Amino acid sequence: MSGAVEARPVVAAPRTDIAPTAARQARARRHKIGRALLHVAAVALALWVLFPIYLITITAFSPRDVVYDYPKRVIPNQFSAETMDFFVNSTGVLGALWNSVVVAVTTLVLSTLIGAPAGYALARFAFRGRDAYRLMVLSTRAFPIVILSIPLAVSFIDWGIYDTVWSVALMHTALAMPFTILITSSIFLGVPKDLEEAALTLGCTPLTAFVRVVLPLALPGLAAASIFTFVLSWNEVFAAVILTLRERTLPALVLSALNESPAPFRFAAAWFMMAPSLVIIFVIRRYLLGLWGRVSR
Amino acid sequence: MGHSSSDSDLRLSRRAITRRNLVRAAGLGTAGLALGGLASGPGAAASPLGRGAGFPRRSQDGDSLVFLSTQLRPVEEAEKMRGTILADFEGEVEFIAEDTGPFNDRIAAEAEAGEGSVGVIGGQHGDFASFAQDGLLTDLSDLATELQDRGFVEQYLELGRYGGEVLNYIPWMQATYVMVANREALEYLPDGVDEAALQTSLTYDQLATWAGNVNEAEGQKLGFPAGEDGLLHRFLQGYGYPSFTGGVNTTFQNDDAVAMWEWFAGAWEFVNPQALSYNNMDEPLLSGEVWIAWDHTARLIGALRERPDDLIAFPAPRGPKGLGYMPVVAGLAIPKSAPDPEAARSLIEYLTRPEVQATTLREVAFFPTTAGELPGDLPEGVQAEAAAVLQTSASEDALQSLLPVGLGDQGGAYNKVFRDAFQSIVLDGNDVREVLTEQAANLQSVLDAAQAACWLPDPEGEGVCQVG
Repeated sequence: MSGAVEARPVVAAPRTDIAPTAARQARARRHKIGRALLHVAAVALALWVLFPIYLITITAFSPRDVVYDYPKRVIPNQFSAETMDFFVNSTGVLGALWNSVVVAVTTLVLSTLIGAPAGYALARFAFRGRDAYRLMVLSTRAFPIVILSIPLAVSFIDWGIYDTVWSVALMHTALAMPFTILITSSIFLGVPKDLEEAALTLGCTPLTAFVRVVLPLALPGLAAASIFTFVLSWNEVFAAVILTLRERTLPALVLSALNESPAPFRFAAAWFMMAPSLVIIFVIRRYLLGLWGRVSR
Repeated sequence: MGHSSSDSDLRLSRRAITRRNLVRAAGLGTAGLALGGLASGPGAAASPLGRGAGFPRRSQDGDSLVFLSTQLRPVEEAEKMRGTILADFEGEVEFIAEDTGPFNDRIAAEAEAGEGSVGVIGGQHGDFASFAQDGLLTDLSDLATELQDRGFVEQYLELGRYGGEVLNYIPWMQATYVMVANREALEYLPDGVDEAALQTSLTYDQLATWAGNVNEAEGQKLGFPAGEDGLLHRFLQGYGYPSFTGGVNTTFQNDDAVAMWEWFAGAWEFVNPQALSYNNMDEPLLSGEVWIAWDHTARLIGALRERPDDLIAFPAPRGPKGLGYMPVVAGLAIPKSAPDPEAARSLIEYLTRPEVQATTLREVAFFPTTAGELPGDLPEGVQAEAAAVLQTSASEDALQSLLPVGLGDQGGAYNKVFRDAFQSIVLDGNDVREVLTEQAANLQSVLDAAQAACWLPDPEGEGVCQVG
């Protein structure tokens, strides 16, 4: 009896051992294949994005006649800063670069200062017309800005801020606002209300509770959102073109000329426009996840 | 057990990342805010409503004359305008090149606001059409009289009146269309055509045979700018139609027009299929995708400058009715909203001086609109192009067409008729007569809408031009 009882596990043991091993091996194999496919897909995706960037970069730093060579060399055999030098020293490029930075930073600050409180209100308070308000904020994005160009320019001339960086920054702030409000509201939603209430019971005023408890938790998300605003402003062309004449931002200055400029300059300009965005994305990529509310965990 | 441990590891590391992020992001946020404070601080202090408030690059507002142009947009040309052509102007002038879209909006907006910053505008005849119609431009008749010794081409001054009394612009520079070929294509020239004959007697049939020979040996190497921003419609309006039919609108659907379209559909077999994406022909010529191309002189000069030894320029071919060609005129105008009309007038005076016109040709390859000989010291590429242009207008069978006159805002619709006919006949292979009958109705409604009289090469006359 006891022998039989003991015997059973002896027989059973190898069986239970074999089955999981086979299953595990099969699973491991499938896992390996899955991982390999994932890697191939990742590499393909990376190449798809990186190869054009690579081509732009090597062409931007090639001598002029090499740019027209066909088929293109994948590994360049000569470098030259000639076109890059011409591009950077063309009239207005450095000034426009500075303008772009001023406009983008001003937009970032203004839209955060105005948009974040609106987002907070949407996240924390139940008020009549909240959904309508949310929809209204979004609907401004659906409005085609192109048909506004002449009235906009006329108004800015009347107000005396036409052709200044401030007019572009104001316009960009308006354009970025729906984005800022909706993103910040989702960030504030991710901060537990309990923490705020606890702070209130422990002697904080609503303001200090916000500054000392909510803000630190929301900051990574806010930083990511505001850097998105920066990039949005950096890349915006239409408003910048129509509202400025002498105080061009970089995209406004470059894009009007690019269409009809020879290939070497297009590559130089493309590289010049692309590089700052790449740097910014490298800096912020780890904060981007914060957008989806990871901070609250 | 293993499970729960890895889970808590995960949680731990996640928390670690979160905390590290918090610290960094806080730093970043503060830096951003500080930067923003710096940037917006002085501006806000110096009243953000002041023009150009607190901005370091600008010396003083309204000092310099703004010269806004739809011409010379490419960076290199704009730089030459600023650095060389405008170098000797007595006042301070800021040259800004801009696309037609924002250009139109800006002038309209400044007119509406009654306060402008643009002093002089430069553009093609067509760019000014809507301003002329709305009366946004200063009458320059007296300036033209003052500058009589320049010897402006009388036809061009007439163009600037848009059929009315007001002279809306002063002719500034002109361009036209020529052909450029790679020297490698020369060995495939048809019998009886040599390099000299290319300059003086090439016909459309010979061009097709030539491109066919090249096609047999090397592939489709003929090129036309049929891209979205290409000027293919000008080929039809100023070259194909006049050369085959002797007219444009009045001969739109006759037998000669059918012959032209049949020629074009046949020649298209030898055209590089990429042509539908070509806007400028200089790059396909440089890369060797195309060996024989037709385009605007300004859109070919890049290739001729880059490789003057490998490329040759020659006039467009001639058809049964002659060598149709189309000069393109750019003009200078002063908007009524200009801040300093006197300075604007002196800039126009400067730009039309013979020596400045010569510099313009040398630097940016646009031709003078005034009497006088071409300068002798032209760069090789410009020289080649200038020779082809002179050869064109000097040809005995030359047949001049004007850019569409008096169409106003119907200019785009007018071009669309020709592009649509091209699409339908040449690309889709539809019946030529059927398509022409259909498009003739469209063309007539465009002309009716614009109330436009016929222009060269059609017989000029009173009343709305009738499609034939």
